[in-house]
Amino acid sequence: MIEAIGFYGMGLSLLVHVIFVSITIGVGLITAIYRWYGYKRNDRYYENFAKKGFRLMVISELFSGVWGTIITVFLAGLFPALMALATNVLFVPLLIALIGIMIRIPSIAIFWYTWNKVSPKIHSYIGFVMAASGFLIPFGFRAVFSEINYPVAIASYISTGIVSPFEAFISPLFWVFYAHTVFSALSVGGFVIASLMSIEDDIRGVEIGIKYGFVFFILNFLFGMFYWLFLGSFSPYIYNAVTVGTYAPLFVLKLLLIFLLFFIVVNANSAILSGKVHQHTKYAAPVSLLIAVIGEFMNGGARYPYMVVLGSEGIEISSFFNYYIHIPEYLLLVLIAVLLAAIVVFLLAASYALIKRYLDIPVAEEAS
Amino acid sequence: MADVVSVSALLALSSLGIYFHSVFVSITLGFPIAIMGLLYRYSKTGEQFYLSSAKKMTAVLAVNFALGAITGTLVEFGLVQAWTGTIIAISSFAFLPLTFELIAFIWEIATLVLFIVTLGKISPAKSFVILFIYWVFAALSGVLITTVNSWLVAPWGTGAVPAAIYPFMPEFGDAVVDVQKLVLIKAILLASGEPLHVILQNPEVSSKLGIILSEPAVAFNTPYNLWSIVHNLTAAFIVGMSVALAGWMFAYSRRKDERYLSIAKSFFPVLLLLLLIQPTLFGHFMGEQVVNYNPTKFAMMENARESYSNPLVAIIAYGDPNHLIVGFDKFKADCDKHGNATVGDLLNSIGIAKNDIVSASKAVGVSIEAERLESTLRLKLRDVCIADLKKAEERIAIVHAMYYTKIGGGILALAAVIAFASVLYRIPVLSSVVLRIMGERYFLISLLTAAGAVISSALGWAVREVGRKPWTVYGLLSPEELVNANSIVLSPVFISFMALVILVIGTGGIVAMIIVSRRFGVIK
Repeated sequence: MIEAIGFYGMGLSLLVHVIFVSITIGVGLITAIYRWYGYKRNDRYYENFAKKGFRLMVISELFSGVWGTIITVFLAGLFPALMALATNVLFVPLLIALIGIMIRIPSIAIFWYTWNKVSPKIHSYIGFVMAASGFLIPFGFRAVFSEINYPVAIASYISTGIVSPFEAFISPLFWVFYAHTVFSALSVGGFVIASLMSIEDDIRGVEIGIKYGFVFFILNFLFGMFYWLFLGSFSPYIYNAVTVGTYAPLFVLKLLLIFLLFFIVVNANSAILSGKVHQHTKYAAPVSLLIAVIGEFMNGGARYPYMVVLGSEGIEISSFFNYYIHIPEYLLLVLIAVLLAAIVVFLLAASYALIKRYLDIPVAEEAS
Repeated sequence: MADVVSVSALLALSSLGIYFHSVFVSITLGFPIAIMGLLYRYSKTGEQFYLSSAKKMTAVLAVNFALGAITGTLVEFGLVQAWTGTIIAISSFAFLPLTFELIAFIWEIATLVLFIVTLGKISPAKSFVILFIYWVFAALSGVLITTVNSWLVAPWGTGAVPAAIYPFMPEFGDAVVDVQKLVLIKAILLASGEPLHVILQNPEVSSKLGIILSEPAVAFNTPYNLWSIVHNLTAAFIVGMSVALAGWMFAYSRRKDERYLSIAKSFFPVLLLLLLIQPTLFGHFMGEQVVNYNPTKFAMMENARESYSNPLVAIIAYGDPNHLIVGFDKFKADCDKHGNATVGDLLNSIGIAKNDIVSASKAVGVSIEAERLESTLRLKLRDVCIADLKKAEERIAIVHAMYYTKIGGGILALAAVIAFASVLYRIPVLSSVVLRIMGERYFLISLLTAAGAVISSALGWAVREVGRKPWTVYGLLSPEELVNANSIVLSPVFISFMALVILVIGTGGIVAMIIVSRRFGVIK
């Protein structure tokens, strides 16, 4: 029981992390692109649009980072053997993710404080570095997830006793999974922006958000299909659980939500063509985030009771669990509840920052 | 076993990361006190200057917090990725402190974001309360991290296990560990020459070993931890506030605007009070814990290769001027008491036979050569004890120099803060003396306060860390036993690269905070 609480507790942290991280990665690219357009086309709307996106990104970045830390501590505290194995066999992927974080946070701070203080060209370049660093982090971490779905580097280590630093990246599952993750985040970024802009009745903003969201939504859908098919070949246990097993209803729900999102996009687009903002556009963000969360939940939860899936079987969660001390079940439940309660405070702060627009980026009115 | 030189380089890398992190943590803990002082003044006077100053400090705090989070991530990854053996501590002794730290951390960031976005938009009293809650969680985070560190310095709950090999060591409370399992793990490490990581990474290893710690909250209940928390946190408050003071006095030196002095007055009394009691009272109680639980560190601090008499140090340390300052000669004599006893004898005395080691090593997936096992069992305890003492002895000069420079830094900070108080408040006699010597050089005096505080704090931490070597967990585990089994972590390329990353982020971050405080300190 305690193992299941630990497993689902960590999964819950992952889902919260995914929500914020999808927003921050997706919005980050759009922010960088429109900051660039603002400079190249000398369009103040684009620059202010980038500013709005950046405000959203800063807020979600802080919280996504915290939940990333929570996952790490969960992993080391509750699943020490898995953490120890990963830090050896997957040392390089973890290092790549760490480097991504090291570039990401300072570049956000620099982007913030150099707005209107350095040339727009230089500032745009900083924005692209910031956006690119967002893709480096999942490049590392998704290799870890790919390994627990279909171990390549771990399998090689177990059979030879030798760590091949880059072996995790030769897994075919990894590349499809990574593309699926990135396109999902980019699509979410577009739709979140479209929703926020629809609340402000900003038709140009809605158009931009819908455009980006939809393009990456199509790519995400394609790579999602590939990933599902690849799971059938490389990780049949997860494939079966999702396709015909316990998680099949969720899979169906995800597909229905995809159709719903498509419907929202079509309506939003029609309204834009007639110079209006469709009232349902604001639902694009929650629906796209729900799709991402369900996808992550299926990918993580469908492995249960295994932590590392080996074809149709796997290594059970209990094999990696912490039995060095007695961990009371209530302690984990209280911990999870208190962590989730902090989200309420965060959402309050986010609403002040985003809806009441209390948090302004110091890109003064004299912006070019 | 890992190459000692490379391990030392990796230790230096970890120290670099921890030092930069500690700079940002000190500001995280010290700045809010100053900002709360400004908000209080603003609520009382309604003068916008206090609010804009609070906003400026908040802008610096925000950048600082981001940098603290980055360097904290580096330190966290450093812990599990470089010193992977510490995972056993994270999943046992440090489990509860780190679990609670998660709560403190997430509430810390949630309340900080709330404070930043609402500052100036809601009443100063509400902002004060939000910032106070943030500060409480930030301090709690510091308390919990110090708890983990304190356990490494004084591994409470391990009872007489360290003393079994090093007879000069004290007992660390009642044994709440499974002594047999702990010693068995140590024996496997000695006999295999592998780091602990090799054991920990095997699936099922935890269920095979089972409970190793019966009292998971033991890290909280130690006298060493209590005084470490008080000593370390107040040091961080002092560093953060003294940096803030120097920053504002720099502005005063440029603009000669009296309002900057009133800013100083809004938080200086807290700084003064802390600097009067921290290095004296709290420092003394911390020192007592070192004398009681880190005998080798105390000998290193006092340069005691040989035991000697020093009534002043003795009365402070032992409460008896006639007590000798116990030196390494005494420790070596204690090691000699082992006589010809071997590791095998020690293992036998707690019921561990050779076959137990062989079967246990197989169970946890570690191979041991029969010859190496034999030679390990034949190792004389006296030789093990003396060899580790020698490693500690090699660090005497550096620890002694750092400790007394730290004391010098503390005296400088104390003298400077008293001088600042006498210039700021015009205390009879004292003010005239200080003004005759220093004049109204507020910035210089505040800079001396900050320099003294930073020197004292930085070297204090260095003494704490270097002083417990050659062990990472005092008397139990060495850095070589805790390092990652992956050889990349010890490669010069990796170490150099990460050092570069830390230096760029650390120095760049400090420069960014200075720029924000001087030019871009506006969050509208």
